[in-house]
This record gives sequence, C-alpha cells and structure tokens, in this order.
Amino acid sequence: MSSLSMPASGIAGHRAMAVIEARRMARHPVFVLGVALGFVLLGLYVVLVDDKTGIPVALTLPLLGAFYIGLTSVIAAARLTRSTEVAVEAVATAPGTEARRTLGLAAAGIPPFLAGLVFSGALVVAVKEIGVAPQEWWFGTLPDWQVWSIVLLCPVACLDGALLGVLTGRWLRFRGAPAMVVVALIVVTLLGQAPLLETSSSEWRLWVPWAIFHTGDNADGTQTLIAGNPAAYLCYLLALGALAVLGAMWHDRTARTPRFRTLVAAVVAAALALFVLAATTGNHDNRVSDPIPSRATS
Amino acid sequence: MSAGTSTVELTGVSKRYGRTRALAGVDIAFDRGVTGLLGPNGAGKTTLLRIVATSIGADSGEVRLLGRDPHRSHADVTAVRRELGYLPQELGYPSDMTAFGFVEYVAVLKEWNDREARSQEVRRVLDAAGLADQASLRISRLSGGQRRRVGLAQALLGDPRLVVLDEPTTGLDPAQRADLRRTLSALGHRSTVLLSTHQTEDVAALCERVVVLAGGTVRFDGAVTDLVATAVGQVWLADEPGDDALVSWRTGTGRHHVVGGVRPVGADLAEPTLEDAYLLMLGPDAQRVHTPS
Repeated sequence: MSSLSMPASGIAGHRAMAVIEARRMARHPVFVLGVALGFVLLGLYVVLVDDKTGIPVALTLPLLGAFYIGLTSVIAAARLTRSTEVAVEAVATAPGTEARRTLGLAAAGIPPFLAGLVFSGALVVAVKEIGVAPQEWWFGTLPDWQVWSIVLLCPVACLDGALLGVLTGRWLRFRGAPAMVVVALIVVTLLGQAPLLETSSSEWRLWVPWAIFHTGDNADGTQTLIAGNPAAYLCYLLALGALAVLGAMWHDRTARTPRFRTLVAAVVAAALALFVLAATTGNHDNRVSDPIPSRATS
Repeated sequence: MSAGTSTVELTGVSKRYGRTRALAGVDIAFDRGVTGLLGPNGAGKTTLLRIVATSIGADSGEVRLLGRDPHRSHADVTAVRRELGYLPQELGYPSDMTAFGFVEYVAVLKEWNDREARSQEVRRVLDAAGLADQASLRISRLSGGQRRRVGLAQALLGDPRLVVLDEPTTGLDPAQRADLRRTLSALGHRSTVLLSTHQTEDVAALCERVVVLAGGTVRFDGAVTDLVATAVGQVWLADEPGDDALVSWRTGTGRHHVVGGVRPVGADLAEPTLEDAYLLMLGPDAQRVHTPS
C-alpha cells in the first residue's frame, strides 16, 4: 500500500465536493447571464421608471430576480449534473455513491441563493433610498414579517430553481430537458394560480412553486395583496427544494434505504403541512390598498 | 488480504449482453506486476476489465478483488474501490472543468478530504501523466492524447493497489507512450496493473505476462516470451508474399514479412514478434487454449 494516506470520508468530503460544485455553478455562463439580466433589469426599472411617488409596485420586484436567476439556475444546474455524469464510468468506481455526488451537487444552489439574497438586498436598499408611495404595500402598510417573507421569496426561489435543475439532470437525460422543465414550470405556475387570484379561494393558489402575493397596480390605482401566509409559504418552498434533492438522490437505488424512505415521507408530510398552513393562516382574504391617484388609469 | 490470495481472482466468470456472450467461464488470477490483455474487438477484454473495476457485475462465477467479494455488500465494494484506479475505454469529461479540476473532483470522491494533501496528490499524478503544464487548461481545449492522460492521472490517484487501464495508449504519440510505459513499469513494482491494448508492442515492452482473449474465453495466459516462442519457425522474410500465409505484408526494406503457412522459397527465418505470435494464436488453426505448464 502506498505511503500516501487516504483519509476516511465524512463531513470534510461533502464540504470539499460542495465547494467544487458551488464554484462550477458560480462560473456557469447561463447562470451568470441570468444574474446579469436580473440586476440590469432591476437597475433599469429603478432608474428609468418615472414616478414621483417612488418605486412603484416594489413588492412585485422579487419576482424579477426569481424569474431570471431562478429559471436560468434550473438550466445551469441541470447541465452541471449531466456534465459530471459523462465521466460516470470513472467516477462510479470511486468509493462515493451517486447519492453522495447528488448531495454535493445540491451545493450548486448556494450561488443562486446568494445572488437572490443580494438582489433582494439591493431592492430593499433602493426602495429605502428612493422611497415608495405611502399607499404601497411595503414596510409601514404591512407587518414587517410579511414584507420580509415576500422579499425573501426571491433567494429561496433561486435556490429551488437550482435544486429543480439537479433533479432534472438526474432523471431526464434527453436533449432539451432543462428548457422543457423551465417552460413546464412557467405554465404550471401561471395556470395554477391565475384563475384563483381574483377569487375568494385565492389562498389555495399557494401549491404552485412560484406564487405571487402582489398583483401590481390595478386600473383604479389600488394594489391587491393576495391572501395567504408568506412566511409559511417560504418554508413550503424550502420543503419543495428539499424534496427536489431527495428526488434526485432517489435515482441512486442504493440510497433507497428504510431510513431514507422515512426521511422522504417526513419531508412530504412537512411540505403538505406547510402548504396548508400557508393557505389557512396569514391574510384570509385579498387585501386592496388605498388608491394611488397618479397610478389610476381608469 | 489472506496469504496466498491473488489480488484479482476470477473463477468461472461469465457475462452476457442479451444474446451476445461476452465472457464464458473465465478462470484467471492476477497479482502484482503489469499484465497485458490482448484480443480482437468483441473478445471480452473491456467486459473483463469492467468486472474487475467493479463497474459491472458478472452474471455467474466468483469474483474476488483484493481478498473481498465486491458483490457481497456495499462495504466490500467500497473497500475495494478505495484501492482501485480505473481508466475506462471511453471516458467523457465535464466540458467546464480544467485538467486539475477534474482530477481534483475524482480525488474528492476518492476521499482525499484534506485540501492541501489533495492538491499535492493531484499535482503528483498530473505530473506523472505528463500534464504538469496543462493542469490549468480546460479539458475541452486539450488534444485527444492529453485527455487520455487526464484519465490516466485520475486512475493513479493514491497509488492504488489495483490499476485497471482500458486502452490507455489510445491517441498517444510514441514519446508519450514511452513515458506511459515508464510510469506503468514503476507502478507494476508495487501494484497489480491490468491493461488492455491493441498495441502488441506496448505489451511486449511493458508486460511480463499476457492474456489473450477471444470469443469470451482465454486463449493464452502466460509469459510474453512463451507466447512469442509459439511463433518460432513460422515467421519469414521473403522476396515474394507467401501464397498460403496467414498474413504477409511488404516491409520498408522491400522484402515481405510472412507469418504462418508454408515457408516461401528463398525465405529467411525471422525472429518472431509478439504480434506475429498473436496473429498465429488467433489464426484459423489456433482453436485450443494454450497455457504453459
């Protein structure tokens, strides 16, 4: 046996793999493009929108980051997952299992999460500097925990996008699968919530992965805050992200131990419970703000 | 590993892919040193190496690697893989990784968790593979031979006790092949190295032992010199090609290298090469297994 020592696996090994995958994600051109687009558009919106009352519909802007960073992260993470597996014949004969490699790939969600966090921070700072109309749904008109929850939907959605990408990369091996998943996500998100937004059952839209809480300006200059508990919804999204990772690990047959199955069942139960919590607590009905006269178009 | 147990032991190992029989009742054992695996396309070489590398399982028979049964438990196969280095016949690479990055990734999978030690080891194997200057280049920008050497480098991580190389010389130029022979020769002093190749000169230059596979069975298993000895008296240099030769070709000197068949008129007996012996072994008359006593 060589005199070169070979340390046993453990936390250090997972950390090393996580660093590698996070770095790969941070450098991935599709992800970089998404981040650039998100920030450029936010900047343009803040600078170019001409409204004397301040930044309009600020609470919808986390969706901008979630869209550009989150959706591109789906594609980037899926490609990272597939690209590592082209060397599967060599890496599969190393001591680590596919499930362990998948867990390492989950760290590819760190750069999108951080990018989303910076995006949300930039939004909050911009609003603080420029201001918003006093009738805007924002800090002051809503409890702080609700505003923070909605703002933080951006980084969590970005994280979940990457984790969905890992799940996609593990299970769908045909060309164009990531793009197809992105399209499916958009369609499901739109169709899953649009019919419910203006109804008395709007809180049940919260099953979709990217639910909105703010409709933007209505024709009469008011704004509608859609029903539901954004903090519980945030936790629901985190549970969905965990399920994506577990679903990706499930691809490795050797990982499907009784303990793992129990974990999956527990996370599914938690996700369901959090969904019900999000839908049944918080704002029970849609709330309409006072009108902002300069925004009325009718 | 118990005393007297070979590094690799295959007993009655068979493998099928649908209706195709890849290996049929192979009995073979390997120990420290470099063993060459020769055989025509479809002989079962890659299948044999994949079974030894724990990439696939055998359909029947017994496989023991480093004293363990890799099919018995996850712990056993993991223990084997901790001391295994494998270069597959076809190895893809993540397009965004550098040579250093890819080998480092494999090093992490092979449980090199200390960052400093890992970097040092990655540099060592890249240097051994002749890629010290290309470490920071993206693999997508390397030549085919350089990519092959990246694959070799990851197989050498940790100086494994069992090294399985499937066609490691593909795409290498003569100087690179000479470097590889040097590396594998040194490795063979302390490890069991199995390599399959179509290049008989690599086997002749590097291996003490050669196994010839054909049709999923072992046709020869013994010293390289013994295989070459089977061709003595059956190879000639002649002015004209032999009419019933197994194979002949015109050399650069203008004379014909004739293998097998009846000695052509005026032909001079030639020193046989491993290639000649291999061709004769797998010619139409070589129907039985030959194992030297």
